[in-house]
Amino acid sequence: MQPQKEKELFKELEKLRELNQRYIHYIRQKVNQLLEVMGTQPLRPEELDDEILLEFDPIGVVAGAFHQILEHLRETVQELKMARDELHAIFNATGVGISIIDTNFRIIRCNEKQRQMLVSEPSEDIRGRFCYEVYCYKDSPGLDCPAVETMATGKPVTLREVKKKDRFFQVVTTPLKASGEIRGVIEVLIDVTEKKKAEELMLRTEKLVSLGQMAAGIAHELNTPLGNILGYARLLEKDPSLSEKQAERVRIIAEQANRCSRIIKGLLDFARKPEYERVNAKCDLIEAINSALSLLKKEADKRQIEIIFENGELPSVRGHSREIEQVFVNIILNALQAIGRQGRVTIKGSVRENSAVVEISDTGPGIPKEIKDRVFDPFFTTKPPGEGTGLGLSISAGTMSRLGGGIEVENLKMGGAVFRLIFPLTGGSER
Amino acid sequence: MKNKEMIDIDMLGQVCPACLLVALKVINEHRERLKKGEVEIVVRTDHRDATRTIPQSAEAMGYRVVVEKVKTCYEIRISS
Repeated sequence: MQPQKEKELFKELEKLRELNQRYIHYIRQKVNQLLEVMGTQPLRPEELDDEILLEFDPIGVVAGAFHQILEHLRETVQELKMARDELHAIFNATGVGISIIDTNFRIIRCNEKQRQMLVSEPSEDIRGRFCYEVYCYKDSPGLDCPAVETMATGKPVTLREVKKKDRFFQVVTTPLKASGEIRGVIEVLIDVTEKKKAEELMLRTEKLVSLGQMAAGIAHELNTPLGNILGYARLLEKDPSLSEKQAERVRIIAEQANRCSRIIKGLLDFARKPEYERVNAKCDLIEAINSALSLLKKEADKRQIEIIFENGELPSVRGHSREIEQVFVNIILNALQAIGRQGRVTIKGSVRENSAVVEISDTGPGIPKEIKDRVFDPFFTTKPPGEGTGLGLSISAGTMSRLGGGIEVENLKMGGAVFRLIFPLTGGSER
Repeated sequence: MKNKEMIDIDMLGQVCPACLLVALKVINEHRERLKKGEVEIVVRTDHRDATRTIPQSAEAMGYRVVVEKVKTCYEIRISS
């Protein structure tokens, strides 16, 4: 080969080597950059020499790793989105009210139930507003506020009974912590109104049962001596040696003893245990109300009281007709007596999902708040002595609870009271 | 449960970047079978740094990683 040509080739080779070095340097630099991203140190030339470096393809390896990392991230994001959607759905579907409140008592978020229970305007945007303003109608957090206590102590607080908007709630506050620090409070609201009502009803039933047992005992003991008084009075009444005045007095004795007997019979009715056949009998509610009305027509006319009956296609219910009729007589008579003279009694039937409801409302003075809890107690009466035994309503309440139904009373806004009789429907769910 | 195939990578005496790169290369090569749970990769190393970098990367890819100290070295087990 010619020396000139050889020299040129060497030069060319030198140039290529230089270029190669630059490429290798660039590749090493980029590999190190990638390794740094992966959290490790740069490659030292003695670990992988240039030849093995290219053969090993570190950029390809890291690219493959990145591909898998991205794929995993995408899957994770997808799962997170699903979890978020699920959580959101649960948040809104749950039967309790949930609010998340920050340390400044601002509402960060609240669910649909909470809105329904406490926010007057359903469409109102309450995010960012003060919880005490929206939920408690105050201009600062109250001293008894469980959220205040939770924020101060970091511990959950339960308030058993809080009254808001005429309903009763149980409130539970739990701290919302992020890296050990309290970031806010989760407030859970449970509507316990129905539970409270059921508890009150149970208490009343228990009271009635024990009173009933006592009354039955006394009634039984009194029956025999009373029978003797009545018997001897009747015997004495026939004695011809009595003067007219004396005979009149004996008649009064007999009459009064008779009255005592009736009261005692009422007591025994009240305390009576349910009989199987009675519970299995059927009663047409419309018929029972009509027959009660025919009994009371004279009394209503005398008092100039109009009685309106909207039957609402009431069905038949489980129970003995005579007993149910007696309940209607008791309640309607009570309404007539409450009105006194001139007014109106409205009887309205309706059918709900599992029950038939009869509402009996009057235009009387309503029931004073202080005696509302006692109207179903035996012997409780506001009538003058001799006019009522105080057993009518308690017997009715006893009958209703035996039938598996209930009786409620409340005052109407426009005056007067309404008694609501609830009969369970056969075929519906039985408790 | 069927028996898993074990792939052993012996990286004793090697330092981190190389350990990590080799581990990643093997993971890439077996990704399908790893995801299906058919194979498990065991990396043996005596370089402490690798017990941090390899689990970090493998977990970011969504794998389950267990590091165990055995006598004179560490075993990094990678599975789905």
